[in-house]
Amino acid sequence: MNFRRLLGYNLLTAFVLGIVGFYVGWWLGHQFSGPSIAYFADTGQNDIALFLAYLVGLIGFLSGLGFASYPIQRLLGKPPSLREKETAGTGRYFTLCTDHKVVGMQYLIGIGAFIFVGGLNAMLIRFELLSPTKQTFNANNYLTIVGLHGTMMMGMMTSGILGPFANYFLPIMIGARRMAFPRIEALTFWLLMVAGVILMTTVGYGGFPTGWTGYAPLNDQANMGMDSYIVFFALVGLSMSLLGLNMIATVVTMRAPGMAWGRLPIFVWSVIATSVLMLLAAPVLISTLLMVALDRTAQTGFFNAQAGGSPYLYQNLFWIFGHPEVYILALPGMGILLEILPVFARKPLWGYRLAVTGMLGISLLSWLVWQHHLFVSGINADLRPFYMLSTELISLPTGFIFICALGTLWQGRIRFTVPMLFALAWLFNFLIGGLSGVFLSDVPSDVTTHGSFFSMAHFHYTIMGGLLFSFFAAIYFWVPKMTGYAINERFGKIHFWTMFIAFNSTFGPLLVIGFLGMPRRAVTYAGYLHGGNTWVSISAFFLGGSMLVFVGNFVWSQVFARVPVGANPWASKSIEWQLPSPVPVHNFDRIPTFGADPYPYGDGDGAGDSTAPRVVTAPARPRP
Amino acid sequence: MTELADHSTDYGVVAAEPPEVMARNLRIGAHLWASASAFFFAAFLFAYFYLRALDSTAVWRPKHVDPSLTLGTLAAVSLVAAAVLLRFAVADHRADRLNAWRFKGAIVLALLLAGVVLQIVEWSTQSFGPTDGPYASVYLGWTGLLSLFVVGLLYWVETTLATSFRYRNTRRGAPVPAGHASGDGDRSDPDIENPLSLIRSELEAVSFYATFLSGIGIVTWFVLYVL
Repeated sequence: MNFRRLLGYNLLTAFVLGIVGFYVGWWLGHQFSGPSIAYFADTGQNDIALFLAYLVGLIGFLSGLGFASYPIQRLLGKPPSLREKETAGTGRYFTLCTDHKVVGMQYLIGIGAFIFVGGLNAMLIRFELLSPTKQTFNANNYLTIVGLHGTMMMGMMTSGILGPFANYFLPIMIGARRMAFPRIEALTFWLLMVAGVILMTTVGYGGFPTGWTGYAPLNDQANMGMDSYIVFFALVGLSMSLLGLNMIATVVTMRAPGMAWGRLPIFVWSVIATSVLMLLAAPVLISTLLMVALDRTAQTGFFNAQAGGSPYLYQNLFWIFGHPEVYILALPGMGILLEILPVFARKPLWGYRLAVTGMLGISLLSWLVWQHHLFVSGINADLRPFYMLSTELISLPTGFIFICALGTLWQGRIRFTVPMLFALAWLFNFLIGGLSGVFLSDVPSDVTTHGSFFSMAHFHYTIMGGLLFSFFAAIYFWVPKMTGYAINERFGKIHFWTMFIAFNSTFGPLLVIGFLGMPRRAVTYAGYLHGGNTWVSISAFFLGGSMLVFVGNFVWSQVFARVPVGANPWASKSIEWQLPSPVPVHNFDRIPTFGADPYPYGDGDGAGDSTAPRVVTAPARPRP
Repeated sequence: MTELADHSTDYGVVAAEPPEVMARNLRIGAHLWASASAFFFAAFLFAYFYLRALDSTAVWRPKHVDPSLTLGTLAAVSLVAAAVLLRFAVADHRADRLNAWRFKGAIVLALLLAGVVLQIVEWSTQSFGPTDGPYASVYLGWTGLLSLFVVGLLYWVETTLATSFRYRNTRRGAPVPAGHASGDGDRSDPDIENPLSLIRSELEAVSFYATFLSGIGIVTWFVLYVL
């Protein structure tokens, strides 16, 4: 074994420097003293030390991967460059690599691992709720598990589609060889991975009691586990912002000749709509969390009512980010849906412009609805009608997406493949999620359902039923292109049906249980809700089991029983399917020229045709 | 293999991308980063007016919470002056007055550094701390993070200036010496055709961002010191 390779920029070096950095930061934090932080002596809680430990640890980890090299070289006056370690074999998956396809694969596995952790937490929650009073976990631990589940899922899934699939396919779809800022692209992934690990360390510092929203004043009163939440979400925010920036810049500047705005694949439009929200909403989250960090370390009073601050300020700032965040989660799923339907209905996308309008409309309106989260928090009553109406208005552009989906399916030659099944399930789940959302946007009904399992079931229908189902649709659709190997169709269908049935069997009853008065984040509940909760828990375990079917199928198909796929197993017209599977490191031998709309189905093509007429290869260079 | 790509094609096809592509990336990247920064500081602006209007315990701004207007103004002026000077530096570069741009760039560095130092002096000499009410909280958070952004700007200007200095004797259009491809130790040649031609694009991008940040500086000064 070549031990010299272990000393270079790689994951091992990163871990070593990360751990060393953590303890250096911890030590540095204990050197601070001053009148406003004298309270540390009383409580034995040194938040400054933990923040610094995370920060220096992060710097150490990233340096170990090689991220410090380029900035230092630039500081010394070396000229700019684009690429790093793109042809370094398997090792490129474990370090800084600027190939967008490697980053996409890194995201897929990395995010998948953390979603699995979040899912395990969900199983623990449902296990606890099997009994109305008997406790496996005490209230503090239960709240930490709920918080870990929600925060991990919300944080990681923000990049759940854009991370793996937009990074991998967006440059290809627009005819480019790279993202606009390849190093930033790699950085967004590694920031997210560090963030995930930091969140999990909260258990070692006593956890946090706030759930994923991190509300004040609890966020100020909580023990050091809260710091892990703050750093996690701040890093997620930074990663989101940079990811959004990179995506927009790539689409604006890197399109191949002929790729006009009206020819962009609909998935790319969904990425644009999402990226705008990521770019602009995430900085508000970062600012807000820095304010919390200042409240907890320097004893400022942003959210402390006794010091003249206001917990409502936190709620406002959080939801200025938080509601666009909901659409950051939902929009990519809509893009996946509309990208997949034409392929398996063998029809052009119906209402391309309407779909684009819908996505951009959602993106715009999502800024104007945040106060519906504060309906029961004592907001000025005069504000309620506006936010009620603006929230209900957002169902219009969402309706556009449904119309386009149904119009595409209408009289199509539908093939019920696994990706198509997941896409169709999206329609069903998101419809229920949307309809239940109307009750929460409406002030009178929100007053009775806010903070209950009804609200929780609603957002699981939209986020899990929408995003996670489209995530799986994308996996079954695109992973054969990414790896070159098929995913077993039969086990895929078993996965789909168990997941679909168990999902609805879990969250459908939760709407009812919530309406009957089951509160969120409570470790005990009234006896009359026992039967419903038991049903839900058993369904949730089946839901968890369906994930094991997927993991088993995925590993078996991709590692042990590989079946190579051709370039275009779905007979798609999109450009990514005109490339070899997996896509070569350089994407295109020559930059293509695009000559037609993105969904030329129904022009006499058969189900087995594999050559798209819309792309002609021409100039050897990107357009000037 | 398909007609568009083949695994056997040499990786060298990605080498030496025309610099215009990266120039466009830089331009749009600076604009997008500015918009993200605007939303970042908008949160502090929101907090300022929210807490000031609420003033729930009548401790918004006690009398002794009075940061030095002189130091605050000087810090803001240094940021604005740096942005203006960078604009002139861009004009110099466009007119091929490269020594003039480098001279102005060095002054910009000094001005930005002075702005940060002035802010630190202000924090260390002021008569109040972070616990002295909501205004003090917003003031310290806002100015602290603005200073951090100024440090970032300083870094960006420095890299552009350092490249210009390092290759001041290189003839225009001449290739960068082998081994000067930054970042990747495995790479001996640049992956951008004539990467030195990107200095102007970088300068334009950083100048735009500096102008934007000076705008934030003016808003900061007005809200925290004047209002």
